[in-house]
Amino acid sequence: MKAKQIINAAALSVALAAGGAVTTAQAQSDEPIRFGLCFDLSKSYTFISPQVAQAAQDLAMHVNASGGIDGHPIEMVVKDHGNEPQRGVECYEQLKRDGVFIFNFLSTPVTNAVLPRVMKDENILMQSFVGRGDAVDGEVFEWVFPIGPTYWQQAANDIAYIKSQFEGDFSDAKIGFIYLDYPFGQEPIEILKTLAEKEGFELELYPVPLPGSDQAGAWSKIRRDKPDYVISWLLAGGHVVASKEMRRNRFPIDRYLSSNWLNEVDIANIGAEEATGILRGTNVAGGQEVPIVKTMLDTIYAEGKGSGPESSVRDVYYNTGLAIYSSGIEAARIAVENDGWPLTPESMKAAYESLSGYDGNGLMAPLTVTGEDHGGGGKTRIEQWDGETWVPLTDWSADYLDVVWEVIEESSSKFTVD
Amino acid sequence: MFYRLSGVYRVNYVSDGRMFKVPADRNLAVVFLFLGLAAPFIVPSLYLNSYMLPWLIWTAAALGLNLVTGWAGQLHLGYAAVMAVGAYSAIHAARFGLPWEIALVIGGLASSVIGSLFAFAALRVKGLYLALTTLAMQFVMDWVLTHSPAISGGSHASLQAPTLELLGQEIVSDTGYYYVAFGWCVLVTIFMLNLKRTGLGRALVAVREKDYAAAILGVNSFYYKILAFATSSFIAGVSGALLVATFFFLAAPEQFSVNVSIQVLAMVIIGGLASVIGSYFGVALILLVPGLVNGVVTSASQALGMQVNVETLAHIPNAVYGALIVVILLIEPLGLGKLYGNIRDYLMVWPFDQLRK
Repeated sequence: MKAKQIINAAALSVALAAGGAVTTAQAQSDEPIRFGLCFDLSKSYTFISPQVAQAAQDLAMHVNASGGIDGHPIEMVVKDHGNEPQRGVECYEQLKRDGVFIFNFLSTPVTNAVLPRVMKDENILMQSFVGRGDAVDGEVFEWVFPIGPTYWQQAANDIAYIKSQFEGDFSDAKIGFIYLDYPFGQEPIEILKTLAEKEGFELELYPVPLPGSDQAGAWSKIRRDKPDYVISWLLAGGHVVASKEMRRNRFPIDRYLSSNWLNEVDIANIGAEEATGILRGTNVAGGQEVPIVKTMLDTIYAEGKGSGPESSVRDVYYNTGLAIYSSGIEAARIAVENDGWPLTPESMKAAYESLSGYDGNGLMAPLTVTGEDHGGGGKTRIEQWDGETWVPLTDWSADYLDVVWEVIEESSSKFTVD
Repeated sequence: MFYRLSGVYRVNYVSDGRMFKVPADRNLAVVFLFLGLAAPFIVPSLYLNSYMLPWLIWTAAALGLNLVTGWAGQLHLGYAAVMAVGAYSAIHAARFGLPWEIALVIGGLASSVIGSLFAFAALRVKGLYLALTTLAMQFVMDWVLTHSPAISGGSHASLQAPTLELLGQEIVSDTGYYYVAFGWCVLVTIFMLNLKRTGLGRALVAVREKDYAAAILGVNSFYYKILAFATSSFIAGVSGALLVATFFFLAAPEQFSVNVSIQVLAMVIIGGLASVIGSYFGVALILLVPGLVNGVVTSASQALGMQVNVETLAHIPNAVYGALIVVILLIEPLGLGKLYGNIRDYLMVWPFDQLRK
């Protein structure tokens, strides 16, 4: 007993003399980089959150297999908040005390509820596709990173695509906008109205009550109005109902342009064959031909070690999850490279803001994040379902930036209070 | 032995009119009052600001609903909408530059006015029809909030609250927020405890039991119903405003949606209708237990080394929690307050009552 203690003490002093710095560095390198994923895994957002969580965990596994970031493994802490703001706050407060400072809540109500706390505590809030659109304004929302296009930008890009189909002549074009009549669906209206005035096309609005299962009135109106394109801000089952109504009212499905919320599950529900031609604007490449998705299928899933069912990998929301977290991990990598360990919210913010042309090897639209634009440029492309997979019709691009940013700044200026 | 009583005997009007008829109950309440006051010093900040604070505010809100549903017997399915009116009016008043004290009162009064205006129309019908009418109020309010940027704060429908300032004191710390919530909850609790000792409380109970019998006895049931709605709406309004001012820091329509209304009603029913202590228990069960069960299930699966899919893991607590509610209501349909009451009554003169058996 005594002898052992002496040996230990001796070993310790030798180690200290030989290279205390090395031992501490090694001890540190085991320290993980932790991402807090407070998701709604049981209520309203279950159509997307499991895939995103799975993608995040797979990505962490993939990065850790090749040594993590400078020796630090990545850890994804997944918790359920059931889409209840109160439990989201609880999750945030708890993980914050465990030393997590990079959060994602993947739910608009919860993100909004936590936003003031994150801003006050100066932690990183990832909020791609959820929460306030104007949070891309990095000068107001310094700690928020909504990587990806805002709904305003998506709608503007959709209009640019339609304009290209008209060869730039909008004089007798009519565009319909079918949307869920609550904040998610209402968001693009303002920008569409502004663009209609600017470009001279005719805009028709077709509100649909939640949850989007009753669209008969809207589509019979569409049949009368005969718009050239219908831009759709519906969710999940809403697309399926829309497809039935389109068939009933003889509206061609290849003139139906959805937001990014249209995935393989919806396609399967419409019928893969039936859905041929349907359009979606997206900032994330769909399908399994994307290098990182291929890698996941060939390595982690081939070995049966995936964080969830393989079928979820064949879902464009899995790609969306990869996109959200690959940019986050890339930012963490840059932060450790530039400012060294430990990773701090400040170094993470600086790293995010230095992302330039990052596209996750063909996974998403190239991101260029700056101190002013936390969205990364808002580029999207139009993809078409060909019966089996997503085929890109256009290149990544972002249009009407001036109009969109006017709306963003107008809106974000109202956020601050004394 | 525990209560040091041989029974509760009504010997004179003064003792019968006391708030606590059993001294031990009063002592217990005082102990909890002091524990509540000392909480910031003994409870870790995580539990203080993400469990106790919402618990107290929701308890105050649930007590307000209990007034109208438990005491006056009127089913109310639009309570969250009334809270929303209070929250939004108070925040707009505070943003306008009014001091928070006045803003909170404005919030309460606005709720009161809207709540009782609706009651005017709604009270021409009774029972389930009334429930549906109040539900309609909820949907009207949801619609108004999502369709009027002027109220909800722009296209993102989130309105930030200015820093809370009471009695010239800026409140920014967790402890400060907690004391505000605690103070409000204590105030509402004292009001509710006193309610049953007053003519108003007795009138409400009479209306609840049989409104036309009450009318025959000279209790204007319509007037008292409106009064119940107005009072409960005032409590709802201030609670809603405080919820935003001390917990969410910004108001969004989802915080006051229809499922929140159902939740508050569940709090009141599971806690026990017309039970003050029951409201505390009911809120704890509905608000805090899902998170706690979630934590327990997660750590249990980790401890057992089970590889459970995150999605499955999130659904197990829901099932457990649902089962818990069913079991509680099977054991005691009158709610947790009654369950507590049963234990209390059993222990009241224990062990002397054993002699009789």
